[in-house]
Amino acid sequence: MFGRQSRMNARLTTLALVFAVSGAGLAARVAYIQLVDSGRYAAAARNEHYGQQEVRAPRGAILDRNGYPLATTVDAFDVYINRPDWQDLNAAQKAAAVIAPVIGQKPDILVDEVRKASTGLYFAYGGLDFNKGTSLRDADAPGLRMVQTTKRFYPEGDVASTLLGFVGRDHVGLAGIEADFDRELGGVPGTIYFERDSIGNPIAFGSERIGQKPKPGGNIRLTIDRYVQRLVEGELDSQIEKTGALGGTIIVMEPKTGAVLAMASRPGFKLSELDLNNPNQALFRNRAVTDVYEPGSVFKTVTTAAAVDLGLVTPESTYNDTGVAYIGTSAIHNWDFSVNGTTTVTQILQRSLNTGAVWMSGLLGPDNFYHYVQQFGIGQATGIGLGGEPEGLVRTNQSPYWSPVDLATNSFGQGIAATPLQVITAIASFANGGKLMRPYIVEEMDTPEGPRSFTPVVVRQVVKEETANTLADMMNQVVEGIPGHLAAIKGYHVAGKTGTTTGATLADGAVHDGNVASFIGFAPVNDPKMIMLVKLDFKEDRLGGQVSAPVFADIAPSILAYLGVRPDGPQLVTTGP
Amino acid sequence: MAALQRHALPFPKRLSAPKAIGRLRSGRLLLAGAVALVVGAALLQVNQFSQLTSTSYQIDQLNQQRAATQAENLQLEADVARLSSLARVDWEARVQLHMVPAERKLYLDVNHAVPERETLPTRFLPPEKPAAAAPAAATTDPLWKRLLKLLPFF
Repeated sequence: MFGRQSRMNARLTTLALVFAVSGAGLAARVAYIQLVDSGRYAAAARNEHYGQQEVRAPRGAILDRNGYPLATTVDAFDVYINRPDWQDLNAAQKAAAVIAPVIGQKPDILVDEVRKASTGLYFAYGGLDFNKGTSLRDADAPGLRMVQTTKRFYPEGDVASTLLGFVGRDHVGLAGIEADFDRELGGVPGTIYFERDSIGNPIAFGSERIGQKPKPGGNIRLTIDRYVQRLVEGELDSQIEKTGALGGTIIVMEPKTGAVLAMASRPGFKLSELDLNNPNQALFRNRAVTDVYEPGSVFKTVTTAAAVDLGLVTPESTYNDTGVAYIGTSAIHNWDFSVNGTTTVTQILQRSLNTGAVWMSGLLGPDNFYHYVQQFGIGQATGIGLGGEPEGLVRTNQSPYWSPVDLATNSFGQGIAATPLQVITAIASFANGGKLMRPYIVEEMDTPEGPRSFTPVVVRQVVKEETANTLADMMNQVVEGIPGHLAAIKGYHVAGKTGTTTGATLADGAVHDGNVASFIGFAPVNDPKMIMLVKLDFKEDRLGGQVSAPVFADIAPSILAYLGVRPDGPQLVTTGP
Repeated sequence: MAALQRHALPFPKRLSAPKAIGRLRSGRLLLAGAVALVVGAALLQVNQFSQLTSTSYQIDQLNQQRAATQAENLQLEADVARLSSLARVDWEARVQLHMVPAERKLYLDVNHAVPERETLPTRFLPPEKPAAAAPAAATTDPLWKRLLKLLPFF
């Protein structure tokens, strides 16, 4: 009997201990949850009850140098249709009759597409104008769902499309300045927390709080001038149409600051007809910055400058042009197979003689020549800040497989590759007392760290000031020393040089066997205010002096007048009070 | 009649009649007051909640109005930009005014100041230079803060 009682007590004691230990464990667990780990559970509870939504920050505007917007953001609506609401055909047709005309579709087609759709919410239209959107929203058609959003708006139309680039549906920059300065333009998205029901929908009149306010993106003011840009693009399109060119590039720059006033390239795309599904991504490139080409005879100015700077030649120095220059067994002829006899250095540039350039490269020697090539920034990215800028291609006497023939061909701009931007930057030094400027395209911008302005940067003194002035005079003789030169303009003294070389770029980015006809010029010679590079790509042979120089002559007077440069001579008919 | 002649029942001995009536009345009044207080408090809370909801709704409406006005403002600014665009000026000149490109260009020297740009929406204008430094914060601090700052360890 006693033993039984004792066993009972032991069992009860064990049971009590089990309960006590369990209770203590539970108490400890509760204490841990309540006191130590409370934050995690509170957060989990909040997440359960509160939804979170990212609020897109308004994207900043891209402005021209005078503050006129080239790209800005406006409010808009995305239009969706709730498919289940359109199961009733009559209701669907009535709603479609209201919605379809606003989004530019036929009601019958809209009904068919919505009813065929596999998703519950059919995306009918993106970026509907705000005013149209509010009218449509007020119409309250069955099944209509409107989501307020923003869209990019281009007040100047398709101007500067390849330069500006574009944004995707998520408003992230995908090309051009929109992509290169996405951080500054995009702003910082905000967060809204709202009470939600069991299936995640916001509760009407439920509590809502802003976690983080969206920080609007900053504006970017470019050095581009909308007037000059529009003028340049119009002329480029017109010349391409007139001459049947495959494409082309025009850059206009202030030689004394490096500020780019206009930058246009073709083929490109139209912002008004932007198709993100276009497989030809090459159309979205800004070829003025991304594509290299052989500068051709334009490069003879660099060779001449090097020789003049070292005192090896003067504009009046002469050599005997036999029409051919031999480098070992390789013969190099003039572009027109001409034989000119005794020829001055100025005439080498005027007649664009390959043999003359080879003669000067021989005087320079490879070390001096490639030193100057490097000094002019050829074979180096300019640092303009635009994406996709290559360094270019220069095979120097230090490179493997270099031969003296390379030196000879490089001296007249062949066997060497540079971007149009590098070429205009290099030649601009002749219009700027021999100072090489860093080209820039952003004047100022609002960054998350505050406003930031850009000022002209002198990269280096490439040649002596006297050399630069001498080259400017010689280039002036190229244009004005040849009667009927197609780059000459009344009222302004122009310095310039033509260039023609092989390897045109096709629309898909491939290099064709055709040729590149270019002209680079600046004016007025005594105090240059602008420099312009015109480059046109052709399937067939064309000369820069025939097709590119006239483009310069067509638009330079308008640009100079716009920049406030007074013409000389009879064009100035009246002087104000 | 008998009922009328019957004496009224005596009050309990412990309480005199007027006192008892007074206490009963005051008890009822207290009860009524307490009930009124509870009801009042409840109604006050209901009223507060109602006002809160109403205010929340008004705030929501006002926020919507503000968003709509801001959107309208953006749209108007965009319209200003579109109307002052060169494309539109060109279109107006060619289509509306039937102008053609000049065949002969003459340059006039105009000695007048360029008009100031005022057509741009303010948000596109360059940011203004920061204003002169604000007056020292100490002068705008409340008295207790200024007193605290006099302490050597503060």
